[in-house]
Amino acid sequence: MLTKRQNLMETIKGGNPDRFVNQYEFMNLIMEAPLGEMAGPGQTIKNGWGITFSWPADQLGGFPVHDEEHKVLKDITNWKNQVKAPAVATSDEAWAAAVAHANAVDRSEEFVTAFVAPGIFEMTHHLMSMEDALMALYEEPEDMHDLIDYLVEYELAYAKELINRIHPDCIFHHDDWGSQRSSFVSPEMFAEFFLPAYKKIYGFYKENGVELIVHHSDSYGANLIPFMIEMGIDIWQGVMTTNNVPELIEKYGKQIAFMGAIDSGVVDFPDWTPEIVAEYTEKACQECGKLYFIPNLTQGLNFSSFPGVYEETTKVIDRLSKEMF
Amino acid sequence: MSKIQEVKEKVEIGKTKLIPGLVQEALDEGNTPGEILQAMVDSMSVVGEKFSSGEIFVPEMLIAAKAMSKGVDVLRPLMAGDTATSLGTCIIGTVAGDLHDIGKNLVSMMIESAGFTIVDLGVDVPAERFVAAVKENENVTLVACSGLLTTTMPALKEAVQTIKASGLDVKVIVGGAPVTPAYAAEIGADGFAPDAGSAAVKAKELVV
Ligand code: B12
Repeated sequence: MLTKRQNLMETIKGGNPDRFVNQYEFMNLIMEAPLGEMAGPGQTIKNGWGITFSWPADQLGGFPVHDEEHKVLKDITNWKNQVKAPAVATSDEAWAAAVAHANAVDRSEEFVTAFVAPGIFEMTHHLMSMEDALMALYEEPEDMHDLIDYLVEYELAYAKELINRIHPDCIFHHDDWGSQRSSFVSPEMFAEFFLPAYKKIYGFYKENGVELIVHHSDSYGANLIPFMIEMGIDIWQGVMTTNNVPELIEKYGKQIAFMGAIDSGVVDFPDWTPEIVAEYTEKACQECGKLYFIPNLTQGLNFSSFPGVYEETTKVIDRLSKEMF
Repeated sequence: MSKIQEVKEKVEIGKTKLIPGLVQEALDEGNTPGEILQAMVDSMSVVGEKFSSGEIFVPEMLIAAKAMSKGVDVLRPLMAGDTATSLGTCIIGTVAGDLHDIGKNLVSMMIESAGFTIVDLGVDVPAERFVAAVKENENVTLVACSGLLTTTMPALKEAVQTIKASGLDVKVIVGGAPVTPAYAAEIGADGFAPDAGSAAVKAKELVV
């Protein structure tokens, strides 16, 4: 039997996997790295950039607060005065837990995986709200280029420290680029603003020993795939069924692999049942096939919003591996 | 090209800064405020169609709506009391427990540009708040409810049913990524639309 790591490589290189890669199994996620504060249920926090996040206890997750009082960036033309990057944590103490975790991983079996979020696009809208961020791409493109460069510089500084400390084999990087029906910005605008940013970021990781770039965007994004390939993404995680995944595998599989095709929205809800999970998981595996594809909920981490859904999906994929391989 | 034609074209491509001047020039050429407004409404419906078909994206739509609102600012003082073009007031909000508002805001802009007066209740709006807003505002013809989370679909249902049970004479339109036409019908909504462009078309259809 192949190790999880070997089986992943066989799958994405078009070799001979001996089973489905089962969701996030190949990633050993190092969540202890000092990435910045995040709000937990019932909390309101202000992170290092000054962005306020609130997570009302009775709701599913956290949210950046964008009323006039809390918005960090109120005027894009004045971003240099309004946006101040936090310091990257560089003490042994801050990294100790992450280093201990990374050292405990058997790298022949799994990929030591660093989790990085939010992404560059997400940072622009966390700072100034989605509407302001999207309109600024039109109205103040020069400032947006400069702001994006600044955000990239910060990420590269963090990446340098991350690489020195835990030598990740894989980066799992979030940046939601679309809704379920379309990308947020046009391919042309994406190519102008975000492609160069990610070429720098993913290029840097790859030059420094990272073997695998997995990018999360649980959305439509078929129109952005040529750019994903160009910036060095190996696996697009979160690919929704609105993209026609089998067609994309056919067209681009040799250059980029697809992870997802089980939309969280349809299986991960309070009244979920094992039958519903089985139905959508079987459909995904049967339609997408054994190569260049990893069956997975579209959610951006290795759990579900409602207890049991993630585990049930894993079980179904195991069964399908036995039946189909 | 006539000035009014130019207003139309420039709204479509979101030339925010040019619009106030062009609207003024169109007025000077002798066009009535109503005609100029109609030209901008027409360009927004073109924008809506292009968005529905995937030809343009969210930023293009935001920028066009912003351009139109700059034009409306010039016209507003001249049109006070002129309700001929109004389709009534639309109450809009994202349902209880849900904080997503990008889609709702786009829908709001498009419905406004179709000729409704908008009262935006924001996000996390409880069912009773929709009903209260219908009572508090004048000439409400439509309530639009948005829900983006599968977990807030019950809240969407509650909102629709509370509004319907109140006996108030308003139409209810619903939408949001997880909402399907079948679900909209099942919970008793009068209308559904998959995106902001078609929301404006549907809204108009429901009240005229
Ligand atoms: C951007 C986004 C956010 C932003 C929202 C910023 C904001 N100000 O709204 C942030 C990052 C803050 C966020 C937070 C959260 N999100 Co969110 N988010 C998204 C994302 C990526 C895009 C949504 C969006 O804005 N689309 C763009 C607009 C233009 O499209 P739209 O909303 O669909 O609206 C269009 C149509 O639906 C329609 N429409 C919408 N409303 C209406 C109303 C009427 C009347 C009509 C006719 C039509 C209509 O017209 C609109 C315009 O064309 C989606 C993923 C996705 N693929 O959709 C997840 C998603 C909706 N979020 C999700 C979740 C879980 C959350 C969080 C709980 C945190 C988390 N763990 O991620 C919190 C929610 C907290 C809460 N209580 O609400 C899930 C929901 C899963 C589920 N079970 O339902 C999704 C699907 C992502 C996922 N797969 O996990 N999110």
